[in-house]
Amino acid sequence: MRIFAATLLMGMLVAAAAANAKDEKTLFKTAEAKHFTTSEGVELTPAFVDYFYAELRAELTKNKLVNEVIGEGEAVDDADAPKSLVISGTITEYKKGNVVKSALIGFGAGFKSLKMDADVLRRSDKQNLCTIHVHVKVDPRWNEQVMAKSAAREMVKEMRKALTEGAKPA
Amino acid sequence: MPLRQASFLARAALLAGGLASLASQRVKADEPKPKPDNTISIQLGDPVNPQKFARPLKFFVENIADRSGNPQPMLVLKERGGVFLDKQPTQIVKDALEQSLKAANQLAPDADSADLVLRVYLFHFGLATGSGLDFFGKVEFSVMVKNPKAGESQEVKAVGTSIANAAVRKKNLQKNVQEDIEGALHDAVRNFLRGTQLKEAVTALAKENDVPSAQAPAAVAAKPPAR
Repeated sequence: MRIFAATLLMGMLVAAAAANAKDEKTLFKTAEAKHFTTSEGVELTPAFVDYFYAELRAELTKNKLVNEVIGEGEAVDDADAPKSLVISGTITEYKKGNVVKSALIGFGAGFKSLKMDADVLRRSDKQNLCTIHVHVKVDPRWNEQVMAKSAAREMVKEMRKALTEGAKPA
Repeated sequence: MPLRQASFLARAALLAGGLASLASQRVKADEPKPKPDNTISIQLGDPVNPQKFARPLKFFVENIADRSGNPQPMLVLKERGGVFLDKQPTQIVKDALEQSLKAANQLAPDADSADLVLRVYLFHFGLATGSGLDFFGKVEFSVMVKNPKAGESQEVKAVGTSIANAAVRKKNLQKNVQEDIEGALHDAVRNFLRGTQLKEAVTALAKENDVPSAQAPAAVAAKPPAR
């Protein structure tokens, strides 16, 4: 009985590991994330852009969307270029939020709001593989970096979704 | 009456002095001090493989200047009793660059025998302001790549970032901070040695003098990396 239970458990673990490995299959070899630019009128510190860049790279690594996340301006072998991505984008809108409004009204009123657009290009021919629009709302009491973290997470999630759908045969 | 007043004033002054001395001692006690148990050693780990040039080039890391403006460059984290580095950040970056260049046989023993001399200006080394939920490691430097024969130089910028999880236990906190900074250092060195900026600088300096070009013969000898 014990041997049977142990074998069953082992089998389940192996099946789970195999399923996990299948899910985490990477779509691209490398990805280069660039520092996002800010549109006119967006009052965000340069530290925010730096932190968002780091978070985006960390999320790309964590999400296993690509094999390797390279730094801005790094060279890639010609052979890897068709399977490599370049991610650039712009922060289009930022609203500071209002703590009083958030506390008195609630239900998302007075939240900090951040909108950004990102273009995902194929490195070899500069073809636009997808355009991502992200809109993040966070509590006004939280700092900018928390907002960057959730924006990066949302962006990579959307990117994975768009690229997976794009990679599927019609 | 004036005698009583003078005595009161003297006592008040004594009390104020005592309180001020206590406060200063408290502040001194809060200042973290480097000890073996709160000191970490930052290593590059696996050397970064630099990009290939047409003809073998030799680099020499001449000097690294700290331009961070940080009064305590070895203190990377003030909270929780502090976390210190065992070496100056400038020395760590120099070692990392030399280690990678040496592994690829691109390190010259001295400035005279080098094709290009590197002068590094370190702008940031350690932790930067993060979300508070994690550690944000950042290493940023700028390198003046100089052709000693022509006397011309080009600037190359490099930045490396890393995000590591926060920790509750002191031991884990130190481990995470160390891994975070090591990740950022590796990233920055790779950004410099494999960056297109370095390639462009070498190409531009080659035009000035007879330093071998990274562009033209590369197409024949090896596959040039795409931008």
